[in-house]
Amino acid sequence: MGGRTAAVLAGLRRGGRFSTQVFAAIARDRILWRVAWRNVWRNGRRTGVVVTAIAVGIAGAVLSMAIQFGMVFQMVETAIATDLGHVQVHAPGFRDDPGLDHRLDDGGRAGGVALDELPQVAAWSPRVRASGLITSPRSSAGIQLIAIEPAREAAITVVSDSMVAGAYLDGDARRVLIGQALADRLHVKVGSKVVVSATDVHGDLAGEAFRVAGLYRTASLEMDRTTVFVRLSEGQKLLALGEAVSELVVRARDRKDAADLAAELGRRLGSEADVRTWRELAPLLVYFVDMFDQMAWIVYAAVFIAMAFGIANVLLMAVFERTREIGVMRSIGMNGQRVVGLVTLESVFLVLVGLAAGFALTGLGLFLLRDGIDLSRWAQGLNALGVSNTITPVLRPADVLAPVVVATITALLAGLWPAIRASRAQPADALRHV
Amino acid sequence: MAILEARGVHKVYETRGVETTAVNGVDLALEPGEFTVLYGPSGCGKTTLLNLLGALDEPTRGTVHLLGRDLGQLSSAALAQLRLHELGFIFQAYNLIPVLTARENVEFVMELQGVPAGDRKARSDAILAEVGLAEMADKRPLEMSGGQQQRVAVARAIVGRPAVVLADEPTANLDSHTASALLDLMLQLNRESGVTFLFSTHDPMVIEKARRRVRLLDGRIEADEREA
Ligand SMILES: Nc1ncnc2c1ncn2[C@@H]1O[C@H](COP(=O)(O)OP(=O)(O)O)[C@@H](O)[C@H]1O
Ligand SMILES: [Mg+2]
Repeated sequence: MGGRTAAVLAGLRRGGRFSTQVFAAIARDRILWRVAWRNVWRNGRRTGVVVTAIAVGIAGAVLSMAIQFGMVFQMVETAIATDLGHVQVHAPGFRDDPGLDHRLDDGGRAGGVALDELPQVAAWSPRVRASGLITSPRSSAGIQLIAIEPAREAAITVVSDSMVAGAYLDGDARRVLIGQALADRLHVKVGSKVVVSATDVHGDLAGEAFRVAGLYRTASLEMDRTTVFVRLSEGQKLLALGEAVSELVVRARDRKDAADLAAELGRRLGSEADVRTWRELAPLLVYFVDMFDQMAWIVYAAVFIAMAFGIANVLLMAVFERTREIGVMRSIGMNGQRVVGLVTLESVFLVLVGLAAGFALTGLGLFLLRDGIDLSRWAQGLNALGVSNTITPVLRPADVLAPVVVATITALLAGLWPAIRASRAQPADALRHV
Repeated sequence: MAILEARGVHKVYETRGVETTAVNGVDLALEPGEFTVLYGPSGCGKTTLLNLLGALDEPTRGTVHLLGRDLGQLSSAALAQLRLHELGFIFQAYNLIPVLTARENVEFVMELQGVPAGDRKARSDAILAEVGLAEMADKRPLEMSGGQQQRVAVARAIVGRPAVVLADEPTANLDSHTASALLDLMLQLNRESGVTFLFSTHDPMVIEKARRRVRLLDGRIEADEREA
């Protein structure tokens, strides 16, 4: 047992010393670089095959990763832009029981004061949130009623920019905004009368007639079907809330600031309020994003494993075919380290050429897709996920780095084994090889 | 003292349980500056013996000494070092590095030896002129005739200033006129530089040119004659 360990250690030490000598040879002998580089171009067809395989593999994987991530990115953005914001403030207990019992009785004034002082805050707005029912002369539907301050809300969510008919909540009293999808279902249009009813803060049923001011359509079909907006004061009146609100929604200057902002706000507001980031507010979304990410990496890994085998196979052949030539080089005085250095350089050059081609192809793909991919044909399904008709690929540094690392390591490993074998055999045996 | 010496050298190949004795007890000593031919029918063991003498293979039995050093005692790194500095090889199939030009092939050895760039240039120019290929310096092997490639191989073998040049049937792929010219070139280099040459052949016309003739048969030395 101890002897075995010692043998393994000695082997590792030998391997380490050998690798150091290989790198020294590569660093010292410029001739190795010249021969290796020219060897890359020697068998045009083989180089073509490897380079194409690497290029297509990388461009395919990186682009599909970018598109998938673009989709996920958009899902998150949609959720944030239509409803979540980056951070929300509620009364303690709201998260477990999101009803009118848990409200900010001061109308969010304390939170507002704190928010106005925080530099990371881009905008904030108070909301009342309740579930209710909307009724038209022809139909009715369960809804999420959200009462907003139109101007403030417009700085946070996209509803004001998503109007497809009529107008955003303007000066007129007793107006509602509903989604296009809901309007279709209720058979109403701009100007139609609807009745919104809900249970008020005392537990009594309350109802009020409104006119449809406008119809919106967002990337989220779910929202378009269920969310109805009214003015804050009218919502408060309907629900007998006085000046109380359900939540403050906050938009940070940068999405990455959300956690810091929430922490700072939480410190300032103490136990009076429950401050949460979008991640905490939408755990399902986060879970979905993570899952998507993992799935993408599995696909990525599969592509790379396939690519690695391809590269390895070609490199093995390339070295094997040249056994005799390696024998010649050894007979005129190249030592094992130099032979391994040469073959390693050759493999790495080959893969680098492939990578260059791959990134050129990726760049071309990104350029062609710069205006996004139009998915309107499948958009119905995607809208349900909160993804719009057009997806813009998003490239992350890791997506670029991963193929470089994988391909280079593959090249090293795939080139190394036959090189070491070639450097170990008696030169005479290699010379006899045809 | 002999520059390269084989003592009781045997080489037995084993392929699928069948043993072939390719070299069967050879004693051979090359003196400095000798120009020796190793001849005999195909399969008599010429290539095997040259490989053993050139540190490209290990004898099954017996020893080979180069410049007084027992090759059997040396590490593979030390053997590579000896091949680089003390031995030159010429092969039947020329075996130039195909991606390098004539000059680069010649300079390759010197680069491995660590000769400074300026010296390399001067020496490769001189040797290419000597073998009559000054004009072909920037051509790659595939752009040259067989005779030209073999002359580059000769230049490559000698440019590193080895003690011994070993050539395994260097003229076998050449027509008789070119073969004769190549031999004359090797003889000339041998006279000028004093490098010891040992080459194998089965071409009678080429055998004529050597000053020492060693005949090999079935892995044994049958005859060893020196010209007076
Ligand atoms: N690697 C090998 N394995 C088995 N037998 C071999 C091998 N190399 C040479 N031989 C045999 O050894 C003998 C001598 O071969 P070789 O040295 O090539 O002779 P020559 O060069 O004179 O033609 C032949 O019978 C040949 O078949
Ligand atoms: Mg032979």
